[in-house]
Amino acid sequence: MSPPRSISRRRLLQSSLALAGASALPLRAATPDLKLKKPIRVGCQTILSGPLGGYGEFMRKGATLAMEEINAAGGIGGSPIELNFRDEELKVDVGVKNARYFVQDWGADFLIGIDSSAVALAVGEIMPTLNRVLIVTHGATEKFNEDLVFKKHIRQCFRVCVPVYQDGIASALVAKDLPVKKWATISPDYEYGHTSWKMFRAYLKQFKPEVEFVGESFAKFGTVDFSSHISKVMALNPEGIFSTEWGGEAVAMVKQAKLFKVFEQTKAFMLGMGSAMDVLQGLGPDYPDGVWASGRYYFGYPDSPANKRFNESFKKRWDTYPSYPSETAYTALHAIKKAVEKAKSVDTEKVIEALEGLELSRPAGPCVIRKEDHQAVYAVPWGQIKHDPKYPMPTLTNLKVFPTDQYYRKPPFPPVEG
Amino acid sequence: MLFQGLVGLSEAMYLWLVAAGLSLIFGVLRVLNFAHGSLYMLGAYFAWIAFRISGSFWVALLLGPLLVCAVGWAMEFGFLRRVYGAPEPFQLLLTFAFVLIFDDLVKLVFGPVYQSPPTPAALSGAVMIGRSVLPTYHLFILAVGGLVGLGLWLFLEKTGVGLIIRATAADREMACALGVRSSRLFTWVFVLGAWLAGLGGALSMPVRAISPGMGEFIIIEAFVVVVLGGLGSLRGAFLGAVLIGLLHAYGLVFMPVFELALGYVAMAAVLIVRPWGLFGVREA
Repeated sequence: MSPPRSISRRRLLQSSLALAGASALPLRAATPDLKLKKPIRVGCQTILSGPLGGYGEFMRKGATLAMEEINAAGGIGGSPIELNFRDEELKVDVGVKNARYFVQDWGADFLIGIDSSAVALAVGEIMPTLNRVLIVTHGATEKFNEDLVFKKHIRQCFRVCVPVYQDGIASALVAKDLPVKKWATISPDYEYGHTSWKMFRAYLKQFKPEVEFVGESFAKFGTVDFSSHISKVMALNPEGIFSTEWGGEAVAMVKQAKLFKVFEQTKAFMLGMGSAMDVLQGLGPDYPDGVWASGRYYFGYPDSPANKRFNESFKKRWDTYPSYPSETAYTALHAIKKAVEKAKSVDTEKVIEALEGLELSRPAGPCVIRKEDHQAVYAVPWGQIKHDPKYPMPTLTNLKVFPTDQYYRKPPFPPVEG
Repeated sequence: MLFQGLVGLSEAMYLWLVAAGLSLIFGVLRVLNFAHGSLYMLGAYFAWIAFRISGSFWVALLLGPLLVCAVGWAMEFGFLRRVYGAPEPFQLLLTFAFVLIFDDLVKLVFGPVYQSPPTPAALSGAVMIGRSVLPTYHLFILAVGGLVGLGLWLFLEKTGVGLIIRATAADREMACALGVRSSRLFTWVFVLGAWLAGLGGALSMPVRAISPGMGEFIIIEAFVVVVLGGLGSLRGAFLGAVLIGLLHAYGLVFMPVFELALGYVAMAAVLIVRPWGLFGVREA
């Protein structure tokens, strides 16, 4: 069921825009008044509880900061942004329920957020019925842009965070130059964990055919003790460990891996989500030097005025450095602002057209939203953990940034062989 | 392979501590304490506070579970004893309410984000044979789990209070008729059960990330253990935990796809063949 109010409002809006468009004098040059006469409502869902709840907190902070900044500068075309947050709980049924609630009961104009790949796919599937633009800020499965958008043409779906190409392909570009031939993984036992390990194997094999993959152990969601997984994988004598555990689970795993002397017995440890702020802060002094870590944005990259500004206002507002869900949520709202102002409307179809090919200069650097698969393309570094006394948490050194065309899969997306 | 088993056993010890309290409380009070996982969580948080204040893991290990005892006392004295006569679903509802209340309280006080205190340096070493590693912390957990088991056995089998507890568990009415002050006994048994869960939580504090809701994961497994071993049987809880730990550790190696299901399959099998559990007492 779609709410009747949106249809009449849109019709009204379109006709009134046509009439008023030329005659209305914009109060601010940057934000033309769209005369929406109501706030623009953005429904945000993210994980706000449990061992991974830290991510949601950072997402909420990023989105809230963007809202405050945009509203202080006159809103979007004269309309303020209104946010509503719900806990996604990383459960498909909860995620779908949230999306329906936002659109059908709360009257959301846009949806952003979603941490779980499975939830992103499920909510993506119902977007044609809800007919709102969904901007995913964290869920990373390549099936979201490759299958839902490119192959199934679900045009309402967009994503502003780098997908598993970062975890599965950029990681392979780092790994090919490491003195490691035998790799093993300890990763989450769901879509994200499996798909990133599959990509890593397929691409690393291409880049460096002599590598071997000696073992894998997948841990269910909610694992607090990785001891059996670590013990199992280490018995296979890997030289390098690749892991996409994240949040509190990554923290627990690294601490337990230290007890098992994994960092002494292997030459490389790669943690796809290891540069997320909650992991840096959660492990603190316990984070072993030299671990290769990445994320969907790293606060220290790039060294640009936009990033500096973002870091400063974030620290001022929240008294912490931003994590990547903060940046992606912040960017999602700015993308909405830019697209709505370009489309001069909140009509879903017009905003989709405005978002396709949109160029953004976000804190993470210059970025373009690909028309074919609605995926934001920008570069995120991999780097090695080091303890710098200048910062209250571990940071990255030896940053490796690859040109995006080296690791973003392109249409028509051939199957990953692995 | 041997080490894999020992690692599984050490993971089983947390489960044993929680399941022991759960089983003890059920055996004597006939109440299935749904909130037992929350007491485990509180043990971790209280130990974390004690660690933050004192800077010592050992102080945290002592104080954390003791503070959980206080909570356990308040739960029994203030609430549970009022529903002993009520039908079982009401008792379950009450303890389930505690799960929600404790989770939200922890969230309010400590925030929804996990905490990760450092591992004590004294326990950060490892025993190594070739490339096989068994961390000192895991040996320590095995020792604590074993000692607690031994202590509980001695307490129940060799002391007067233990005799009274066993007598009450076997036949509450007869024990009361013979002069046992069951209300006071119930309180102390509940406090002891709370201490066991709190100890499990405190032990998990330095090596696992602690977070609101962490009790909900362990309570499910503890239920499986208790059902496997037989409701009310401590020996059953111990062997049930050991079985689950080994199934997990070796299941991961030999049949990773089915590892998740193994514990539940074992439980289902036991329920079909011996519905009263491996060491439970068949109801007449």
